[in-house]
Parts: sequence; C-alpha cells; structure tokens
Amino acid sequence: MHPLVRWFHQLGSPPYFDRFAARWAPWCHGIGAVAMAIALWLALFRVPADYQQGDAFRILYVHVPMAWMSMAVYLGMAIYAAIALVWRIKLAEILAMACAPIGALYTAVTLATGSIWGKPMWGTWWDWDPRLTTELLLLFLYLGVIGLYAAIEDRRQAARAAGFLAVVGVVLLPIIKFSVTWWNSLHQGSTISLTGPSHMDASMQLPLWLMVIGIHAWFVGALLARARADNLRREIGKAWIAETA
Amino acid sequence: MNYQGYVIAAYAIFMLAILWDWLAPKLQIARARREAKLRARRDATRKGEVHS
Repeated sequence: MHPLVRWFHQLGSPPYFDRFAARWAPWCHGIGAVAMAIALWLALFRVPADYQQGDAFRILYVHVPMAWMSMAVYLGMAIYAAIALVWRIKLAEILAMACAPIGALYTAVTLATGSIWGKPMWGTWWDWDPRLTTELLLLFLYLGVIGLYAAIEDRRQAARAAGFLAVVGVVLLPIIKFSVTWWNSLHQGSTISLTGPSHMDASMQLPLWLMVIGIHAWFVGALLARARADNLRREIGKAWIAETA
Repeated sequence: MNYQGYVIAAYAIFMLAILWDWLAPKLQIARARREAKLRARRDATRKGEVHS
C-alpha cells in the first residue's frame, strides 16, 4: 500500500487522529498567531492611511480575510460533508461538523466589522444590500447546520442530516461572490484579486496577504482542535480514551 | 488616527473572536477528558463490586 494511502487510513482511526490533532493544532495556532500579529502591527502602524477613507480603511485588514474565510470554510464543510455522505467516513463527518462553528464565528465577525466600517463610510450600520444580505444568509445556514447537528441524538445520523444541509447550502457561495456584479450594489466590488489586477496600492497589500496566510493556519489549528474535541466526545467509554484520560 | 473608535472596535471584535476560537475547543477537550475519566472510574468501581 502506498504510504500516503496507509497514512490516510490510519488517520481515520480515532486514537491516531487524537494524537495527530494534539500534535499539530498548537503548531498551526502558533504559525497563525505569529503571522497575524505581524500583519496587525503592519496594518495599524506601518501602512499609510487611505486618501479617501482615512484610517477607517484599516478595518479592511480584518474584514476581508474573515469574509474570504467565511466562504472558504463553508466550501470545506460542504466537501467534507459530501465525502461523509458518499463514503460514510466518520472522520469526514467530524471535520465537516467542526467547520460549522468556526465558519459561523468568522461570518459573524465579517458582518460585525463590515457594519463598523459601514457606519463612517456609508452613514449606516446596515443596509439590505445583496452582499450583506447573502452573507447574513450564510450565517443562518451555519447556524442551521449547528442546530441540526445538536438536535439529533445519534451522532452519525445528526452528522448526515446536517451534512446534507451543508451540501445543499453551497449554492449560496457563488451568489455571495457575484452579488456585487449581478446587482447594483452598495457594497464595493473586489479590490484585490489573486488572478487579476488589484485596485489596491502595493504598499498596502503585504499586511493583507500576511493576514490571509495567518488566518488559514489559525483555521487549520482550530479545525483540528474542534474535531479532536468531537472525536473525544464520541469515543467516551472506549478503552483507548480511558487509558489516555 | 481618525475614525479611531471604529478601528479599535473592529480589531477588538476580531481579537475576541480569535481568542474564543482558541479557547472553546480547549474547554470542550478538557470536559470530554474529565467525563472519560469519571466514566472509567465508575466502570472500575462497578467491576470491583462484581468481583467482591
């Protein structure tokens, strides 16, 4: 058997995953924390103020990475949920359900920081603009997945039902992404792009990309830690957990 | 710095969320391990009662 395939099979074993997550989550958190700390320092003290928005534009350095992550985490959750539904892999169920609270938190931060930026820039905390409304719907979807997973006693049935909702809800992602293009929206279009030209000056970009790297590493750490917690809860009463507890 | 209050509020929310993201699973893991320990102790006591 190929070593990678063997490792993947091993990872599906609850005790092995517990050791794996316990070992790597702190590393991911550490890398994420260092990258985010440098990014925040640059964003607050080194980057010049925007000529139109003044210092309010600095909110962008926490708002934009969180907004990207709110959608990326949902996509990840839907992929894990689809794998769990098709191949009935328990670890995929656990990972999918661990994504939900993290994604909900990131979406809530996106909405809150966007609202705080909107007050001085738009003159209002909230507007039923397509981007804001669809992002709010994303938060409700996350809460729906969390609620459904908590409502059913049998953990595997609960994960399947919540996973199905996660997979169906993926249709919202392109609507959020293209809402600023499809409709006449108050929310601005994309300022920076991985593939196309960016409308942001190069001197302002470094903290943003550092923050993106940092939040990705942090997310992996959070995912491993939450998945480990769910794995432990499901395995209470098993011999291996009694030995390690 | 202009709009200082707004910037501080946004960064504070971000920091609190990140802190919670780190703390919540730690608390869940500690609770699960405590429950596992209690159950193991209960099982051991029950086994002891059966043998005696």
